[in-house]
Amino acid sequence: MKTQAKTLSRRGFLQASAAVAATAAGVPALKGHLATAHAAGAAPQAPVTSHYTVCDMCFNRCGMIARVQNGRVVKLDPNPKFLKSRGMLCARGNAAVDHLYDPNRLKTPLLRKGARGEGKWQQLTWEQALDHAAEQFTRIAEKYTRCGVMFSPGSDMQSQFLIRFAEVFGSYNVTSHETLCLLSKNRAYLDTFGETPYADVLYSKYIIISGANPLEAIITPDTIDLMEARKNGCKIVVLDPRYTKTAALADEWYAIRPGTDMAFFLALTNVITEERLYDPAFAEKMLFGLDEYAAHVRQYTPEWAAGECGIPAEDIRRIAREIAAAAPAAMIYPGRRSSDYEDSTQIRRSMAIANALLSNWDRPGGILASREVGVRAPYFDVPWYDDNPDDRIDHGMAPGLIHHEGSFKLMRDAIIKEEPYPIRGWFTFKTNFMQTAANRNKTLEMLKHLDFVVNADIVMSDTAWYSDLVLPSPSFLERNDPVSALQGSSACACAVWRDAVVPAMHECRDMLWICTELSKRLGFPESFDFTLDEYRKLQLESIPEAFEAIKADGVYYNPSKVYGIYFDSPLKTQAKKIELFNQRYAHEGLDPMPVYKAPRRKEGAFRLVVGRTAFFTHSNTNNALLIQFKDENTLWMHPRSAARQGLVDGEMVEVASAAGTVTLALRLFEGMEEETVYMATGFGALSPELPLVHNRGASIAEVLEDHADFISGNMAMHETLVTVTRRVG
Amino acid sequence: MKKYAMVIDSSMCIDCKACMASCKVQNNVPRGYWRNWIKHTIPDFSQGSQTRTHFQPGGCMQCDNPTCVQACPSGATYKDTQNGIVRVNEALCIGCGNCITACPYDARFRHPDRRVPDKCDFCFSSGRLERGLLPACVDTCPTKARVFGDLNDPDSDASRLLREKPSVRVLARGGIDTKPNMYYVAATAPTDWVGEVEFPGAFTTMATLVNPVVKVAVGLSALGVAVMWAKQIFSPDREESEHESSAPGKD
Ligand code: SF4
Ligand code: SF4
Ligand code: SF4
Repeated sequence: MKTQAKTLSRRGFLQASAAVAATAAGVPALKGHLATAHAAGAAPQAPVTSHYTVCDMCFNRCGMIARVQNGRVVKLDPNPKFLKSRGMLCARGNAAVDHLYDPNRLKTPLLRKGARGEGKWQQLTWEQALDHAAEQFTRIAEKYTRCGVMFSPGSDMQSQFLIRFAEVFGSYNVTSHETLCLLSKNRAYLDTFGETPYADVLYSKYIIISGANPLEAIITPDTIDLMEARKNGCKIVVLDPRYTKTAALADEWYAIRPGTDMAFFLALTNVITEERLYDPAFAEKMLFGLDEYAAHVRQYTPEWAAGECGIPAEDIRRIAREIAAAAPAAMIYPGRRSSDYEDSTQIRRSMAIANALLSNWDRPGGILASREVGVRAPYFDVPWYDDNPDDRIDHGMAPGLIHHEGSFKLMRDAIIKEEPYPIRGWFTFKTNFMQTAANRNKTLEMLKHLDFVVNADIVMSDTAWYSDLVLPSPSFLERNDPVSALQGSSACACAVWRDAVVPAMHECRDMLWICTELSKRLGFPESFDFTLDEYRKLQLESIPEAFEAIKADGVYYNPSKVYGIYFDSPLKTQAKKIELFNQRYAHEGLDPMPVYKAPRRKEGAFRLVVGRTAFFTHSNTNNALLIQFKDENTLWMHPRSAARQGLVDGEMVEVASAAGTVTLALRLFEGMEEETVYMATGFGALSPELPLVHNRGASIAEVLEDHADFISGNMAMHETLVTVTRRVG
Repeated sequence: MKKYAMVIDSSMCIDCKACMASCKVQNNVPRGYWRNWIKHTIPDFSQGSQTRTHFQPGGCMQCDNPTCVQACPSGATYKDTQNGIVRVNEALCIGCGNCITACPYDARFRHPDRRVPDKCDFCFSSGRLERGLLPACVDTCPTKARVFGDLNDPDSDASRLLREKPSVRVLARGGIDTKPNMYYVAATAPTDWVGEVEFPGAFTTMATLVNPVVKVAVGLSALGVAVMWAKQIFSPDREESEHESSAPGKD
């Protein structure tokens, strides 16, 4: 079966298969509750109905069609019309069935009875639970001001209600999960381009990926587009101390020494500026501080960089020339979880500047500005409380703090010190700092300073396990959610919402209901005097056509401008241009251009890097289906390093840092830089109500030291140095 | 008449396991068992920056010359002439397990509760095809590395891809061509996961000589019921189904 090759466009192909699925699934007629024919076979089966929804197993929000039979979700399929996810659903999205029917779901409100973490609970009615919460919040507000309650709203589609609640309640102390994730990157691009960009992977011809692993840490549409672009001839170069799946499928992979990425990019831009490989017209119009920058990087030659990062100088030179030749349809991939080093903002700035020199801003195959979606945040009054302190508790602790996100790491330190003022309450919703934030022992220490911790979630996460009041939430398949605006590459600026696919089980109540009920008890009922439908209407006021589109297709696309948004308007930076030289940094005593500092090293110690697979999300690993792919994490180490330590494959080792010690099995793997060890997130849960990961493998939160990015305050996840020894006894 | 086939561009596979998860949910595949899998090459790190890994999705090949069907003494395993799918009529299965060893692709396992062979049937019995849906693995695949369609329809995705790209098939070792209906675009690697067809020794003669008679007899009579009852009691669990790259593990 050999036929002559003719290139088949993957795009056409994707569309074609989408079209097949669409017509076949009866999608045009699929308006929420379409009954499809029952399956063949002897026994007649109940009809399967199909319902649009949006996945929530990670933050990507891929389009889903839920198949429901006899009132149960039996299968989740991708929504072929959903461009952001390119008509796919990853393993985790498929496993949402086990998330929904997890026997360990929280079922009723629970009040802690014994000591924190002891697991003694008393069931409450919602009435009792809400009364209790309102009473505690009032007591804290009276004694410690309203800023005495910290809010962690997670990244759920209902999180906006908790943020609104926090603001009306009067606390500035809101911190999101992003403070463990991508604030360093956001900061770097804000301070270079005035915006946080999206990558136009699909149309790119040359991509350098450093400090990201998009083929495993799935991000839509980038992951899918990367493979598509690669097929269309895009060259992919990966720098990673670990041989990831992204590395495995790249054209070139360099096992870079951890934490030396900046050296590589300074040298790359050294070549581009020395050899004048940039576009002079673009430089003239768009770049601020090019001459200063060119002078600054003259010292950072490829030969110098080779000594730091371990990548040969001739390769750095060649890659610089190649990518410059492919520009502007070329990029340094901006990355996602960019919170890795104390110097992260500057490391990411060195990448942002390299992008600027590729003149790829706002152009096909480059990095793009946000597009207009049209979803509005409904207005609400934020009251003034006279006795509140002047600012958030972590204010001024990092020069580039992003104000509405804060820094969990710095807030936690401030709470423990009780300075500049005390915080005594914590309201967390679907976020699990106990398992995701570095230095779990410190989070436990922080809890000692808190009088009242309330957690709303689907299961008893580690954070819930250490709370005082636990509120059962419906899963994303059981609730109606407000409109959410999504962006991603040039493909989409879209709006979506969720309607419940099945009724909420047990006594689960959504965040809107909880906020409404609490607002009545706390004396600001007017802030939540709307129904979800009314709220959606307000959100879509400027795009009423979105209503019908979302009902018909599960998604609305805004036909807004994609490229050239800034061709005729100034950037939102101080210089109104792309700032290679950042004037504000200079003013504040920070390096206006990235200056290389070698990462810390210690004789006999390894740098611990963390990450995940394509089938697990952060701390949400307690899933009966997904656990079958991998039931425990291990410590990855190069065989030569292990030999030097006298360690053998499979044995149990102790991994010790200044923050804590964990024990897990050793896995020897040649795809590791020799100074680096790796472990995956999501295991070693403290909560016995997560039986699949409780005491299995080890938790990254236990062993990671808590460092922060100097500029953004973001938690720096790769600063930990560990010793690895044979477990004794 | 249809001739369903899967065409796989394994160079697009990112080993995300979405296909495996999707299949398990759609077909209620029991814990620890899989109807499809991803195999991978062992990276050769002496290649330095050129080190690569190739991921190769697989599953039942829906062979045109299915050795599993030949090995089945009761006629329970058969090739559906309407669509080319190799299926199992559970009512006729005597639980002998011959089909499991006779498959060189290791595509079958014994269902631990139902005690009958289980394998991919392109989502036929789950009703997806009839409802006009693609098989669960194909539908969910992020990169559409897996493509499905009717080879008798020149406009199907599978036919088109086969026409436009060179393809190869993974063949059994030992000289038996099972004529698989799973095509790999361009390259297949790894290829070492294919085994030899193993007809149970005593069975080889029976399969060729007695087989048609037995099939008719079992197919016609209540004998089938009797043996079915016997198999529930006697058939041992077998572990052949553990595909090494899909088995759970510490990783
Ligand atoms: S990437 Fe996977 S888990 Fe995340 S939203 Fe999409 S389908 Fe769900
Ligand atoms: S792959 Fe194995 S089980 Fe499938 S048809 Fe071929 S021989 Fe039978
Ligand atoms: S879903 Fe597609 S890309 Fe993912 S492992 Fe399966 S075949 Fe490969």
